[in-house]
Amino acid sequence: MQTGPLTRTTWQDVVAFLGLAVLLGLAAGLLLGSMALLLATPAYADERASREGALLMMSPGNGEPAFAAPLVSTDVVFQVSGPLVRARVVQTFENPQDEWLEAVYVFPLPENAAVDRMKLAAGERLLIGEIRERSEAKAIYAQARASGRRASLFDQERPNIFTTQVANIGPREKVVVEIEYQHTIRYDGNRFSLRFPMVVGPRYLPGGARPVSDAARITPPVLKPGREEGRTNGVSIRVELDAGMPLGPLDSAYHPVAVEAPSPSRRIVTLAGGAVRADQDFELSWRLSDAALPRAAWFVEKKDGRHYGLLMVVPPPLERGPPLSREVLFVLDTSGSMAGASIRQAREALAVALARLRPEDRFNVIEFNSTAQSLFAVPREASERNRRAAVRWVSSLEARGGTEMAAALRLALAQVSDSERLRQVVFLTDGAVGNEDELFEIIRAQLGSARLFTVGIGSAPNGHFMTKAAHLGAGTFTFIGRVSEVGERMGALLAKLESPVMRDVQVRWPRGVHAEVWPARIPDLYAGEPLVVTAALDKLDGALAISGDRAAERWSTVVPIVQGTRASGVGALWAREKVASLMDVLRRGVAEAETRAEIVALAMSHRLVTKYTSFVAVDASPARPQGADLLSTPVPTLLPAGWDYAKVFGELPQGATESRLSLLLGISCLLLAALAAFWTRRRA
Amino acid sequence: MKTTDLPIGVEAAWPDRPARRGTERLLVAIIVALVAAGVWQMGSGMWIHAKAHLAQLLIASAWQRTVAGEVAVRPWPWADTWPVAKLTIPRLGVERYVLSGADGSALAFGPGHATGTARPGERGNSVIAGHRDTHFDFMRHVRIGDELVVERADGLRVRYRVGTAEILDRRDIWVMDQAGPSRLTLVTCYPFDALRAGGPQRYVLLAFLS
Repeated sequence: MQTGPLTRTTWQDVVAFLGLAVLLGLAAGLLLGSMALLLATPAYADERASREGALLMMSPGNGEPAFAAPLVSTDVVFQVSGPLVRARVVQTFENPQDEWLEAVYVFPLPENAAVDRMKLAAGERLLIGEIRERSEAKAIYAQARASGRRASLFDQERPNIFTTQVANIGPREKVVVEIEYQHTIRYDGNRFSLRFPMVVGPRYLPGGARPVSDAARITPPVLKPGREEGRTNGVSIRVELDAGMPLGPLDSAYHPVAVEAPSPSRRIVTLAGGAVRADQDFELSWRLSDAALPRAAWFVEKKDGRHYGLLMVVPPPLERGPPLSREVLFVLDTSGSMAGASIRQAREALAVALARLRPEDRFNVIEFNSTAQSLFAVPREASERNRRAAVRWVSSLEARGGTEMAAALRLALAQVSDSERLRQVVFLTDGAVGNEDELFEIIRAQLGSARLFTVGIGSAPNGHFMTKAAHLGAGTFTFIGRVSEVGERMGALLAKLESPVMRDVQVRWPRGVHAEVWPARIPDLYAGEPLVVTAALDKLDGALAISGDRAAERWSTVVPIVQGTRASGVGALWAREKVASLMDVLRRGVAEAETRAEIVALAMSHRLVTKYTSFVAVDASPARPQGADLLSTPVPTLLPAGWDYAKVFGELPQGATESRLSLLLGISCLLLAALAAFWTRRRA
Repeated sequence: MKTTDLPIGVEAAWPDRPARRGTERLLVAIIVALVAAGVWQMGSGMWIHAKAHLAQLLIASAWQRTVAGEVAVRPWPWADTWPVAKLTIPRLGVERYVLSGADGSALAFGPGHATGTARPGERGNSVIAGHRDTHFDFMRHVRIGDELVVERADGLRVRYRVGTAEILDRRDIWVMDQAGPSRLTLVTCYPFDALRAGGPQRYVLLAFLS
């Protein structure tokens, strides 16, 4: 082989080749560059260039408070008997410094919690909270705070957001506030679930014509991830479960738990690793062995000369009828709070839902953050092609910006077009908004014959928004907290969307029995959902008759009410249900004064915390010496697990492109190609 | 003696061509693939620079019309942004047209003025962002005390002097607060020579009215 001359020519070739390649690259770049200007706007949506750094939510400030905030830890004990839960929440506030402190802690409870007890323990003293009208409670508390006495105030900001205020916590001292509430377990498709929210996620507060008036009360400061300095607002949980009949498997969706089984129908559940960070909802679910499943349950409590009853009836399952002709609108929240894990769950959920559509169905997808836009101008048939286009579009969406939900709801409800079809709106969001009431009003006024289904996404969805929006939208709700749940939960929801609902559900009370029943109008029931009503009765006598229409059949059943299972707290549940119904009335534009008086009277007699009534507990003698200052500080909360701080609170614009990487990669590729060509020539 | 020929002959008898051809084909395929990838990558890298520079030319004429009295002149008919100011740094001989909006679609064509902050040259804090590898490539050369000149749409020139330079986190949004003395805040990504976009650090210059 004559290597000498060949090498020379090859080197010349390589240089020529490289030069040519670089020129080619340049030419291609220039060509593409000029084309870029022609093709401008939509092409850059997916360019990883930069984003607007506007303030998306209330600013958490430039850092943490100047002085150390009190530390909070929470112990929760649930006593579950059948579908009833009694929860005791013990919050320990610890003052880490040498000043006197007032702590303000904003935290969530389940949206249907009836809080009916509060205690304050400081040192040796135990003070029982009294229920007062909110303004009065506030005044009592303020006076105690000023005079140096220990005091605590417990307010409701939203049905699922509460505030504990504790005044005059001494230097290095611990003060304990204990609250108790009652609620019913969610039962759906033979699955009981107990949910305990742990953190109020940062809420988006739209400006505009109707700003949220109590914004400051629902937006506690949020610790920057990585700058938490050991603050976890730790929560420990113990569930004492007595199902009354043999239990099937238990499942804790997001936290590892330790389970003891003292008997086939009882379980003691505790968090396996002790206290956990307060940044992820706790959810425990269980099933009963099928044979043991009751069709109806009737709980009673006698209180102040009145009988209170709670009725739960599960309509028997129905064979699936002929498929419904549907028009489904998916509304996807792509705001900053959905960034990270949440948007992946939502995308996945949407993909599952799209796959279940039949070609005859029509659908559309709407995404919203600071603005709302829809995939198609009008709903289209769910052909393979259209569905694939939807999946592609949705996977290209990035979560960022505000949560202008009102615009999205209006767009969705205005778009429903085909009057022959069953109209369904599926709303996927974390509900991280503070203007719930405005949104409920839009749903109520513009829903028409459509039905609204909510899918609560992420580690700390707004349960109040999810359940109330679904209730007003005559639909149902589901929660998804991780991608692995998407299949099962969406499957259950979609099965409901596809099955006929039970309409016009009536409960006829026995003749001669006077019953005040809440909710007054029983919502339509989806497959697997139980009928739940509460009633106040003058006597327990006879049997009640329940009936409802489903597909072409009329279903009915009879439940005797003389014999009921005794259960404490049923009265509180009835009062809570009545308050919720009255608040719905309020949303319909009835003058607030009337309703308010009724709610206050009801809440006072049942010792219930509502929007208008609060608990206050005050010590008799002052603790803080005159002359010592009192510092007031909010307890900072954690960012919900999986959220992206920068996407929620905004970030500075991004000032870089990938041009260098591309150029480097390009040159490397060309060099490698040249080397390979050289090698080939040599071998030849 | 000449027995050494034998092995060669034997070797030559083997049909080595097809095997060679297979490898050759593979190599050619690899080369073609590498050239394609290289051209494509170079192309996309160049694309970013080409559109960044071409756009500034078009924006220059839009700016002339803006100064002449027109409002929100789009540099090309379908643009979703328009020039709001002209930024010059006399010492470095830098001239840039600042576009409305500091989101990706504007920054591809020029430095962007963050919506919601004061307009450049007006009272308050005016935040302008740019890509460190295109329009804001001069940022590393700016020194404390350098003069920045902002030409407003009404033709008025406002002079600033660079006061501080800081490396911050992308979450330090207090940089965009409006309180305090009137100033110009220039933001770009940091480190300057990072290959990839999307890092957490920002290089922030504050320039105050001089």
